[in-house]
Amino acid sequence: MRPTMRVLIVEDEKKVARALREGLEAERYDVRVAGSGEEGFFLANHEVFDCVVLDLMLPHRDGLEVLATLRRRGLSTPVLILTAKDTVDDRVRGLDSGADDYLVKPFAIPELLARIRALLRRGRPDQVLMLRQDDLEMDLVTRKVVRAGQAIDLTVKEFEVLEYLLRHAGRVVSREMLTREVWRIAARATPFDNVIDVTIARLRRKIDDPFASTLLHTVRGVGFVLRGGRR
Amino acid sequence: MSVRARLALWHGGVLAFVVCVFSIGVLLFVSVRLSRALDAQIDQDLATIEKVYREETGDLGELAHRMGLVLFEVVEGQTVIYRTVGWPPAGATPYRVRTTGDALHRLSAARDESPLRQTLSTLTLILAIGVPGALTLALGGGYFLAGRVLAPIGAMAEAARKITAESLTARLVVENPRDEFGRLAAVFNDTLARLHEAFEQLRRFTADASHELRTPLTAVRSVGEVALQRHLSAEGYREVIGSMLEEVDRLTRLVENLLTLTRAESGRIPLTLEVVDLAELATSVVESLRVLAEDKEQTLAVETAGPISVRCDPAILHQALLNLLYNAIRYTPSEGTIRVSARATPPGGAVIAVVDTGPGIPIEHRERIFERFYRVDGGRSRDAGGVGLGLAIARWAVEANGGRIEVEGEEGQGSVFRIVMPQRS
Repeated sequence: MRPTMRVLIVEDEKKVARALREGLEAERYDVRVAGSGEEGFFLANHEVFDCVVLDLMLPHRDGLEVLATLRRRGLSTPVLILTAKDTVDDRVRGLDSGADDYLVKPFAIPELLARIRALLRRGRPDQVLMLRQDDLEMDLVTRKVVRAGQAIDLTVKEFEVLEYLLRHAGRVVSREMLTREVWRIAARATPFDNVIDVTIARLRRKIDDPFASTLLHTVRGVGFVLRGGRR
Repeated sequence: MSVRARLALWHGGVLAFVVCVFSIGVLLFVSVRLSRALDAQIDQDLATIEKVYREETGDLGELAHRMGLVLFEVVEGQTVIYRTVGWPPAGATPYRVRTTGDALHRLSAARDESPLRQTLSTLTLILAIGVPGALTLALGGGYFLAGRVLAPIGAMAEAARKITAESLTARLVVENPRDEFGRLAAVFNDTLARLHEAFEQLRRFTADASHELRTPLTAVRSVGEVALQRHLSAEGYREVIGSMLEEVDRLTRLVENLLTLTRAESGRIPLTLEVVDLAELATSVVESLRVLAEDKEQTLAVETAGPISVRCDPAILHQALLNLLYNAIRYTPSEGTIRVSARATPPGGAVIAVVDTGPGIPIEHRERIFERFYRVDGGRSRDAGGVGLGLAIARWAVEANGGRIEVEGEEGQGSVFRIVMPQRS
């Protein structure tokens, strides 16, 4: 059992703040929400957090300013910024001010969760050689996939998608995350959803269809999740 | 100062200079000529006097009588031989005196100079009054003429003032297309036409964009409203929310595309130029979309011959080719064939062609398919989440890299899209 991680959310838009809180709490994070830059600054200064999610467009006090001040005062907590402006300039300014990562609105909650996990994991070496979910096993060294003792032949992309899903097992992975992380295409305007859907369908034919239980599930409108079959 | 006044002043100034030079010339010329004529007359008088003096000195009185207004004096040594009444000339009347003779004889004659002076002063008076008068007239006339000539410009300015974004269809009247004003009006009208077109495009774009935004919004709204009125199972609500999220996805993608285009068109996407192997780029795009073709049982072939080095932004060109190939796969029926070929056109150029066996693009649509939101099938089939911006983005992406994009092919015979990267000298 991991210790409970504390996350501070600085976001003035109430609906978004609430969705973030619920999404993070469902992942068993301890969440505090600040509705303004001042409040966020105060909380970050007086309490200890493992991660800060900071909206850049805040009333009265700009998010970047808050961040820069916090960093000047020696705060080293990882900070993920949320921005509605995704020009290169804004990103550079954000990262220059001391942000560890950024997400452009509108973002998907699964993606935010994945980014936060990545920030919290940072610095810890990734020594996994074998990924496993129920009776599905993936050997990252020999690049072999086996389910219920049967070897499964996957294409390179299918392997990479399955690896990504296994690494995020039990959590929803959005199409956007797959586009960026597996296909390595950064442009958000790219029509890649069909490619992902077809690849997932093929993967499903290979790892699920011949077997009794289903591991790879589609979450409509959100993405895909690999999780243990219900018995 | 208005152009009209400046024109009139310049005109008047030049004219004044010319007229003054001319008047002074005339005065000098006339005075010299008259003065010489008077001298000649007096010299003639002296000749007559000398003749009479030498032949018959006693007749000098008679001569004086005959010569009337001419005064003269004949001196021999220190002795005055003859002297007319009133010699030496003095008093109010100005006389011109000339003298001739040798050491022994001295003959002098004088004539009244006032007619000459009279003439000169009259001439001076005439010029002094006439020149400024003429100049005033010329200035006034010039001002009037300049006004007449410049009137079309005023009219144009007035007409142009009335043209706003709402009345961009109005045009200036071209009276004579060959003169300067005609050309000016034509140029202005041309600018107006282009402005009008740009405004129309913007208007269409806004209308199309709001239409495209409305469609998914309507879906989200109605799906949500209907679901709220019914009693569904948890699974049912999950379906409804999922369906709403799909529409949100479409909205998100639409906004992303619009932003990309807007940013692209205002030149705010910086290019990262590097030397790229287009053969490799084409192959990677084909391989990334191959699953789609396989899913439709299409044949997808890529033909390249060796590396093709071109200087461009690989990510942006990648997107262009991706969009082209995506469309080709989408519009080519099952079991069709799509060929992607890349070849170098040295030095430095390249052509990438995407050839499909789809329905082809009717010639009347060919000009417009690269416009935003333009769709050949007016029915707006929105399968596969197309928003009608793919080709517009592709065109921008190619043009931003200094290339051009072409389309050809007969209707019903498939189409050929080409990315042409120019040669470099």
